Order: sequence, then C-alpha cells, then structure tokens
Amino acid sequence: MSTIFERVFRGNDAVYGLTQNAIDAAIAQYGADQPVSFPNTAYCLPCYYAVSGVKVKTLGELKAAMDVVKTLMGRTEELNSVLFSGVATALCAEFIEVLKYLNGANPYEEPCYGHLADAIIRELGVPLVTGDIPGVAVIVGSAPTKEDAAALIKSYQAQGILVTLVGGCIDQALEAGMTLGYGVRVVPLGRDVTSVIHVVSVALRAALIFGNVTPGDAGALIAYTKERVPAFVNAFKPVDDVVLTAGAGAICLGFPVISNEDEDIVPIPGALIGEPDVANFNKVSLEARNIKIKITKIDIPLAFASAFEGEIIRKKDMQVEFDGSRKDCFELVKTKEMSEVEDHKIELIGPDFDEMEEGSKQNIAYIVEVAGKNMQSDFEPVFERKFHSYLNCIEGVMHTGQRDMIRVRVSKNAFAEGFRAKHIGEVLYAKTKSEFEAVVDKCQVTIVTDPEMVAKLRHEVAIPAFDARDDRLNNLTDESVPVYYSCIMCQAFSPSHVCVVTPERLGLCGAVSWLDAKATNELDPSGPCQVITKERVIDEEVGAYEDVDEAVKKFSQGALEHVTLYSIMKDPMTSCGCFECICGIEPFSNGVVIANREYAGQTPLGMTFPELASMTGGGVQTPGFMGHGKHFIASKKFMKAEGGIERIVWMPKDLKDTVAERLNATAKELYGIENFTDMVADETITTDPEELVAFLTEKGHPALGLEPMLA
Amino acid sequence: MPFNAKSMKFNANINTVEIGTGDKAIKIGGENTFPFYTFDAPTVNAPKVGIEISDMGLANEPDCIKAVYAGCESVVDMAKKAVTFEGVDFLALKLEGGDPNGENKPTEELVELAKAVAEAVDAPLVIEGCKNVEKDAELLSKCAEALQGKNVLLMSSKEENYKSIGASAGLAYNQKVGAESSVDINLAKQLNVLLSQLGVNSQAVVMNVGSAAAGYGFEYVISTMDRIKAAALQQGDNTLQMPIITPVAGDAWGVKEASASEADVPEWGCVESRAIDMEVATAAAVLASASDAVILKHPVSVATISKMIKELA
Repeated sequence: MSTIFERVFRGNDAVYGLTQNAIDAAIAQYGADQPVSFPNTAYCLPCYYAVSGVKVKTLGELKAAMDVVKTLMGRTEELNSVLFSGVATALCAEFIEVLKYLNGANPYEEPCYGHLADAIIRELGVPLVTGDIPGVAVIVGSAPTKEDAAALIKSYQAQGILVTLVGGCIDQALEAGMTLGYGVRVVPLGRDVTSVIHVVSVALRAALIFGNVTPGDAGALIAYTKERVPAFVNAFKPVDDVVLTAGAGAICLGFPVISNEDEDIVPIPGALIGEPDVANFNKVSLEARNIKIKITKIDIPLAFASAFEGEIIRKKDMQVEFDGSRKDCFELVKTKEMSEVEDHKIELIGPDFDEMEEGSKQNIAYIVEVAGKNMQSDFEPVFERKFHSYLNCIEGVMHTGQRDMIRVRVSKNAFAEGFRAKHIGEVLYAKTKSEFEAVVDKCQVTIVTDPEMVAKLRHEVAIPAFDARDDRLNNLTDESVPVYYSCIMCQAFSPSHVCVVTPERLGLCGAVSWLDAKATNELDPSGPCQVITKERVIDEEVGAYEDVDEAVKKFSQGALEHVTLYSIMKDPMTSCGCFECICGIEPFSNGVVIANREYAGQTPLGMTFPELASMTGGGVQTPGFMGHGKHFIASKKFMKAEGGIERIVWMPKDLKDTVAERLNATAKELYGIENFTDMVADETITTDPEELVAFLTEKGHPALGLEPMLA
Repeated sequence: MPFNAKSMKFNANINTVEIGTGDKAIKIGGENTFPFYTFDAPTVNAPKVGIEISDMGLANEPDCIKAVYAGCESVVDMAKKAVTFEGVDFLALKLEGGDPNGENKPTEELVELAKAVAEAVDAPLVIEGCKNVEKDAELLSKCAEALQGKNVLLMSSKEENYKSIGASAGLAYNQKVGAESSVDINLAKQLNVLLSQLGVNSQAVVMNVGSAAAGYGFEYVISTMDRIKAAALQQGDNTLQMPIITPVAGDAWGVKEASASEADVPEWGCVESRAIDMEVATAAAVLASASDAVILKHPVSVATISKMIKELA
C-alpha cells in the first residue's frame, strides 16, 4: 500500500511525462512555431493563463510552459506539495487537450463538448451568481451500474445543478436513455480523464470574468473558486493515481471530492470524502460544498399568498380546529446538530385530518427542527413568530396566537382540496428554509396529533423550552452582552433618527428587542441593524460610550453626535415617531409623566399624547422628553441616570395595569417599595398638577424627595 | 468688514461614469461640490439630459408627443428623430411593453428592438425596464448580452433582482448598472453595498434613488437626494458616491396637472404646456438637488433644461 503522497506524486509524474512526450511529438511533426489554441476563447490556454498570467500561443511556448509547471511539483510530504502537484496535473491535462485541437482539428463529437466557449461562461455566470444554478457537479468515471449513474445525474438535474460528465458515466447515461446536452444542464465533456480540464477552465475563466481576478494572481484565483464557484467532484472507483492527482487539483481550488473508492485512500475532512453508497453522493456532496437548494414552489394543494393572511374561518365552515386554550397544542422551533436533522423530512405522528370528526377540537403540535452552521438558538423565537404569517397565508387555514396558546382552523374547502397535516409541514419547511437560508441548512418538521403524545411533549419539551427562553431574555442585561445594535428601519420617514437597542432598552416602537436586532443583523448583514461595540466607556452611569456616539453619528449621517442610553436630560436618545410611549418631566412633582399612544385624554403636563409627540419626534433631541417602548418602563435602566423608575408619577390607567406586575417587581428590587404602582397617579385620580402633588404627598411617593431634575 | 467667500470644495468626488462609445459618449458625475456651486469649484461634467421613447411607440402617448414624432413609422424611426432634438445628450429606451400585467411582449422581441435602436443611433443608450422585477431580471440581462460593446446603462436593478442584472450588466458584459431604490438613503446605500459585494465595480454603477413629480411627496425626494450628496461629499461615504440619474418623464407626465384634458379643466390652460411645465419644474429641482442626469420626454423640456444647465454649470 502506498501513501497518498506517493500516489499523487506518481500520478503527477506519469501525466507530466505523457505531456512532455506529446508536446515533443507535436513539435517534431509541426514545428515549434505551430500555433496552439482552444476555439472561441480570448484566454488562450485559460487555466495556464489564469494561474501564470502568461498567454501561450505556440507549441514552442507550450514547451517552455512545462518548465513553469515543473516548479509546482514539490515532492515534500506536505499538503501543499500534494495540492500544487494536483494543479500541475491539471495544467498538463490542459496541454494534452489543447494538442487535440492542433491544426484546426475538431476532436470532440456529439454528444461530447470538450472545450466550452467564452460565451457559455458569460451565460452560465449569471445563474451561478444568482443561485439559479446552485452548483456544478463534476462526475468522473463509471458508476457501479448505469441505473446508478442515471439516478445520480437526475438527482442533480432536479435541483437545478449543472452536471458535467467525464469518462464512463457518459455512455452509462446514454445507455440509460438520458438526454444529454447544455440545454438540459448535463454536459458530457469527454471520455478521457484529461477532458475534466474543460470544466476547470470554466471555473477559472469565471474568476477572470466575474471576479476581476488578475491573471497570474493564484491566491485570488483560488480564493474566488473556493468561495464563489460551487463545484464539487464525484469520482467513481477505481480511483487510480492519475484521477487521484487530478482530484488533488480540484481540492486545491476548493472543490471537494466525493468517492466510493475505499482502497488506498485516506479521507480528508471537507475535501476528500469517502461514501460507499452512490445513492448518498448527492446529499454528501451538497453538504460538503454547502450548497443550498432554493425552494421555489410549496408542495400543497391550496394557494399560498399574503392575500389570504386576513382570512377568517367561521365555525360553520370549519373542518377541524386545534385550540390551545382547550386542548394541548403548541408550536416550537428547536435547534439541532446537523447529523440529527434529515432535510425535508416531514413526519406525522397520530391521526390525519380525515380521521378527525368534522367540526371537532383536536390536539396538534408542530415541531420544526433546524440545523445550520450559523444557526443560533436565539433565532428560534424569531422563526416561531413568523409561523403565524406562514400558516395564515395558506388559503383556507387560519392561525392565531403563539407558543402553546395557538388556534388553528382548517376550512372544509381546504380539506376537500386535499389539505392534510403533512401540508402544514411542507409550508413550514419551505418558508423556514427559504426565508432564513442564511442560517438554516437543514430543516425537518414533525407534526403530532396523538393527544397523549402532544400532552407529554408540551409539558416535557415545549414549556421548558419557552421558560428557558424567557429566563434568557430576563437575564440578559446591558452589562452581560458584548455589543448593542443600531436600528434604522424608520429612517425612511425619520431621516436622522437612530435607535440604539440594548437588552434592557428595546426599540421605542416596542417591536425590536435586542435579540430581534441581533437576528436581523445576522440574517441580513447589510440591513438596518448593525453591531455597535461598547468598549470605550465615557460614563457608565448615564450610558455614554464613544462607540455609541460614533455609530449614532455615522447612521444619522452626522445629524446626531452624542446619545446617552439611560438619561432623559443629557443627550437623550431620539425618536422617529413610532414610539409606543412618551415620557416628559413634570416640574411640580420632580417626576415624569408617561403617556401611551392609545391614551386620548389630557395629562398633568397640560399636553395630550399628540402634543407630546410633536415635542420629541423626527429625530430631534429634546432634553426632558423621550419616546420609548412599553416594555422599557419596567426596565432597571429606565432613566437610570436621573434615579430610575421612582421618578414615574403618572400614567394612564390602562398602561399602568399593563406594566404593573413587572414595574412593581422592579421597584421592589431596586428600592424595596411594595406595590409601587399604587403611588402612581392616573387619569381617574387627576390630570391637574397641583392635585397630583397632593396625591403623591399623601402616598409618600419617592420622587418628591429626589433632587430636582431641572438644575 | 469685507465678505470672504469660503470655498466648499470637498475632498471627496462623485464617481465619473461613462456611457456610450465614440465621440458621442457622455460622462456623468465627477463633481466635488454641491450642484451648480460653480463658485466653489469649476464644473467637472455638466449634468446630462436624455430623451425617452418607449417600445410601445406612440400607442400610449398624449397627442402632443404624437405630433412631435409625426411621420415616424417605427420605434427605430422615433429613436433616430429623438436624438436630433436640441440638447439631447443620450437616448432612453423604456421597455414598458414587457410587463406581464400589460402587453407582456416576449423578451426576444424587446431585445431585438433594443438592438435595432442601438444600431440606428450613435447616441449613448439607457435601457429602462418594465417595472416587473422578475421580467426585468431576464429582459435587462438579455439586453446586456445583446448590446455588448455599446456601453449602455441598464436601469432598474433593484434589491429583488440586482443579482441577475448586476451579474450580467456589471460582470459578464461590461455595461453600466443602474441601481434603483425608492427614496430612502439607507436602501440606496444597501443596494450599492450589495452590488459591490457581488463584485460589480462601483465605478460602473449609477443610482436612481427614486423620484416623484414636483408637488407629489417631492420633499422626500429632495431631502433624500440632498442627504445622499452630503454623505457622499461631506462624509466621504464611498458607498454613496455613485452619480444619480433621475427618470423624470414617467412621474411628471402621470399627474393630473400634466394629463387632465382642456375640456375637463379649461381654466388650467393648454395641456401640452402644463405637461412641459411639470417636467421642467421637476427636472430643475432634482438637478439642483443632486441628480447628474435626467430623463425627459418632451423636446421642449429637453431644450429648456439643457439651456438651464448651460447657464448654471
């Protein structure tokens, strides 16, 4: 048994020798000045030109090029020697192939293509860039049977992957009755193994054309093919020394090689992969090259569009209902390891809709398990929140609620059209996969309708998961996270406003929490939420950071220079106009008044919500006034610089009721005050400033004893 | 105390983008001052004016435009005539007939037309799509291929289809890419970033940051343009230093001031002069705000704006 080094070097030497002999023979026959070229390309010998920057035009120059190739052929037992020997083999293959075209010969006949013209690359480049062609498969050698070959090719075809064939698989495909050709995205290159260079030539010319790579800049070339050309190799056994050394060249360009060869081969993770079962080549290859297949159509018998989102299904039109308030039901996203998820597996446990009595209430749970290299469990609730919209977009399906308080109705019409439990899985699979493709590599859906099983899963899996998430959110503090996020979603109508979103201060619209901003940033890196570091503290008490100031200046295009996170008096954060609440200082009581958008009445400041809003919207800083989210009211960071929530003296009753539980908890923790909201006035008590002070005095409100906010 | 004018020449420049080939090629952008601030620095490339024709010929055009092109039997004839009007720097061909919700003309037919027009005139060519993102992706990519070597500007690559149009026009066939966003500095910037991540050279990108007819939410347009130019020049933001082209015709001719008939509103006067006024007012404002090129429909508007530019630049 030889080592992989010995085999690659031996293969490389053999190919080099053959090439040298072939060139010498050609020179003997035609002379050194005989021109060499491939047809229909501006790149001479494209691979050699891309790697070296030199255009070879004659046999004499070709011979000289062999000396350059020799310099690549390191013989030390290092990975680089193997990889560059592979590149040397590839270049030799190109030389052998170009000799076939000598003297105007036309060496390739139907169905084989041989060299591919520049025009094809320009045409191919666009769908490759847009992902309409998600990958390029290079199949080398003969499959165990012609059926295996056809099945493998068809599996790639169905995914829109461009397939190139080299060697025995071409005749196998023909024998299996397949149509081959560029039009059906199956391109037979040639029967000799050297013809594989024609697909390498495509990849390298793509780098020159689409990547603006300078010919001769091998580093940039390899970086481009690695990152931008989603090609991979499937090599059938027997993999001899020559194929192996060519494979080393592929690996050097970043194309993994998947083979069923098991003799004399040592797998290299991510690069040279052994897979005994040819039926698994597709799956293994896509995973190795990180190719994601775009889902363009959702396989359900009903229409799917946002037009159906608001559709109401009445009781009399309802085939079946899943009601979380009466029966155990839940929806859940779980992050799993890559090996634990089988992509597009949809499983139903329990009876299907046809076995359920018409008009009845039933149990349901749908668990969407996702895996991906960039997946984080913090994204789970972000996905889950989208389920409402996904299911509502199905014609004849209504969804409300979230977590284990969902209600799903399926209409009689939808049922009659053939809508069944698994179709819920199809929709969740397709939407999760396509909308979150940046982080979801694999997705499977389990639908459970068996009542006992749903109950068990709800209490043992779902509720603990929801609790853990709530704990995580509650335990996130501004101090415990490494970065904050900007949010400029509102700049379309409020050009100079920037929100700085922290765990304890969500966006003033109430819709963007720190986790949401984080997910938005990771899913759409050039989108509205960007990372703000918090390394250069100016004043921790008021929440002033140099990093935050720089970010605010940048994202407001210079309109804002300083912002504090926790002060309403000193450089308060600006507002766009979509704040849920506004707080403003109330000079008589030394405190602040908060009004929410829904509140239509008067406040002790003598201003209504719209009047207050006019003071602080549009990205301006008005010390003493600030827009914010409802959730922020109970935060320990709420105007912390001025003393925190004990400054709150008045709120509309509805708002007070909404935040009471959390606000009281915070007041108890910070100041040891029980039932703090009882000390806070509302419109049923008074909207008159003097009466307000009297009420606060009677209750012993702490704001009265604090330092004046207006110095 | 004497008044000392302080020069507001910036250290940053708007990119210069060339469209077309040969003697008639135009350069847009290149400035390092606010528009028409010739007292700060001399004008580098004066703003350019284009005239717009449609693949639909005169079918949807008002009477006054029919009169302008009287005697033209085909779109190619119209193109030949359009480029002869005074002040025309380039020709814009709008392929609105491709819209699947309208005429739904096949891509091949429109590409053939674009080729025929490109052959017939030597003025620089700007191709506008049909506003349907999927159709435009295909249509404009095919136009980029068919018009190789003509150095045309392909408008309407949007966030939804920038990959197709960017890859074909910007990477494969060396044309110029129009990046279209809708009146929002951040969206304009994001699209530029996405195009450059795709590998498109930012020197080959022209922005259409969205517009409206004067008086129709126009303050948003002006504020967006002002802020883009300020970010590009004052803050040196190189993701916003692409020149801006604004198709004015479509917006200006669509509003009631330009289209209501004289029979309906006799007190408003001649419909043709109203339409020209709308077009001129809108174009003058976007040029004064940040645009490096405008696309107009009526030859009188073109001549008027061209004269304005000569006087000011």
